[in-house]
Amino acid sequence: MSTVASPRQGGALYWPVQLRRNVGVRGLFAVVMAFLVAYGFLFPGLLTAAGFAKFTQSWFPLALVAMAQAILMLTGGISLAIGAMVSLGAVIAATTMTGPLGVAGGAAAVAVTGIGIGAATGFIVVKLRLPAIVVTLAGSFIIGGAALLILPRPGGAIPEWLSDLLAGNTPAAFVLLMLIVLLWKLYLATPLGLSLYAAGENPVGAYRSGVPVDGARVAAYAISGLLCTGAGLFVAAQTGSGDPVIGTAFTLNSIAAAVLGGIGFLGGQGTMRGALAGSLLLSLMISVMFFLGFTPVAQYVAQGLIIIGAVAIPQFRKVQQ
Amino acid sequence: MTAWKESVSGRRALTILRSRPFLTLAIVAAVWIAASFASRGFGAYGHLRYLVELAAVIGLVAAGQTFVVIAGGIDLSVAAIVTVSAVSLPLLSWQADPTGLTAVLAVLALTTTIGLVNGLGVALLRVHPMIMTLAMATFLQGLLIIIAGGSAVTAENPVVRWLGNARPGGIPAGVLLWVAVSVIVLAAMHATSFGARLFAMGANPLAATLSGVPVASTTLAVYGISGFTSGLAGVLVLGMNGQGYVGIGDPYLLASIAAVVLGGTSILGGLGTYAGTIPGAILLVTITALITVVNASPGWRSILFGSLILGLLLLSGREQARR
Repeated sequence: MSTVASPRQGGALYWPVQLRRNVGVRGLFAVVMAFLVAYGFLFPGLLTAAGFAKFTQSWFPLALVAMAQAILMLTGGISLAIGAMVSLGAVIAATTMTGPLGVAGGAAAVAVTGIGIGAATGFIVVKLRLPAIVVTLAGSFIIGGAALLILPRPGGAIPEWLSDLLAGNTPAAFVLLMLIVLLWKLYLATPLGLSLYAAGENPVGAYRSGVPVDGARVAAYAISGLLCTGAGLFVAAQTGSGDPVIGTAFTLNSIAAAVLGGIGFLGGQGTMRGALAGSLLLSLMISVMFFLGFTPVAQYVAQGLIIIGAVAIPQFRKVQQ
Repeated sequence: MTAWKESVSGRRALTILRSRPFLTLAIVAAVWIAASFASRGFGAYGHLRYLVELAAVIGLVAAGQTFVVIAGGIDLSVAAIVTVSAVSLPLLSWQADPTGLTAVLAVLALTTTIGLVNGLGVALLRVHPMIMTLAMATFLQGLLIIIAGGSAVTAENPVVRWLGNARPGGIPAGVLLWVAVSVIVLAAMHATSFGARLFAMGANPLAATLSGVPVASTTLAVYGISGFTSGLAGVLVLGMNGQGYVGIGDPYLLASIAAVVLGGTSILGGLGTYAGTIPGAILLVTITALITVVNASPGWRSILFGSLILGLLLLSGREQARR
């Protein structure tokens, strides 16, 4: 017994720590579960393979942009260019994949663009000390303009087999998401990943303790960019073509999902599982409203009200106590 | 004695020369002079007057934004409020009042209320300003489609038309309105206790609360002001356009924030002045005019606009290094 006790020490600590980190998002998990059950009850199609595939596919891009926003918010940043990045990813995928580059080359172009623009944004914000909100707001014009240059009107194409693989009746989206979550766990174990929370929570203290604060923040912007253009590639596969303004709605939704998931604006507060649950809740709400026949107008109004309510109610309770 | 006096005034002159509002003004002047040499029509009085007239709309929206940003918040719903104002005003033009002034006042009351609701969410429910105002923008966007149904509405209101087209003494009425608002804003910001509370709150909300600043009511006031000035900008833009439609206010979100930041106000709050936002607004309009002269495709125009703002920020908008 005692021989296995010492190597298990780390493992024994791991789960209590993870459970403690769930404290803030338990209520959210309960709400998401309740919504999922209600959704499965209303639309039994969710339990079939095809229904599950469709459901995860509508959630997937939102989950990616929620993660993209959450990484930045954990380091104390924010991006208002998420939507433009998604559009750019979609446009690049739709113009390169049927060309000489092929699917692999197109995917590489999407990834390199995401990482490159993300890292450049991070460099400007972190090294040149400009406020993130203003840089990304100006950046959204530059990135959106680039998307318009590549594809002035909706067009381009995604190879049919890729669309079928990603957005057909396969659980590919769910598998990919699990893979990304796994990669995120691995990233958190690397030196840069470990620095992420420290850099967001207390940058000065972290810097003085030898944490590579600037590096962690720039890396977060680069990863965030990659997730956004990746989401764009997926959206292009879903629709079968590219659209230079398809990502617009993702900017607000990414912030809403992250905040619903308990990520704080000040950095270092919240967990990625919370952000994912927040994006799932938002995606559920959107599909429920769609299936119940809400007009787009009523969807806007309801979405605005629900977001404020979901953020305000926990705060309000805290104030009253 | 005289030497001492001279050194004081010299130092004061140097402070003014180094101040951000002055620097932004200098950039505007430099761009105007350079552009009028490069392009024949640019420096004409009529064209410059037109630029200032366009800047008045941004300046009005940015007036409220300056208050909010100095108090440590941000208002992302200004574009939606401008649209609400420009779209709902034509629907309110009652026949009973021949001047149309009551309709304008009613719309301003409406937009101020929207701002106050933002303030309530931020101050009492403690929703983060960015979320509160973004959600408000989403909410208003839905509401607008119900009200206007996607079609353009024409304004028959005499006051609005006068504001958009009249030129008493050769100066556009909109610019006169902007001058009046600027005077009031600058006085409120730098010569009242309300203004002092604003800066205290933005610099350190906790310390401000502990020293007796009524944070909740000040926050409420700040967002109320932003709703009011955005509503005023909506009225002006409706008068200049003649028509209101959904999306008419969209350009003013980035413009208002950019004008505030270009003018030297810290986006983190507690530092800045509307005196910088004024040349900031004119600078933005000038950039847009220059890009139109270049005659590029929409994609390039968007890229140029974003890059120029980013470049100007690099020149002037950097935050202080952390100690």
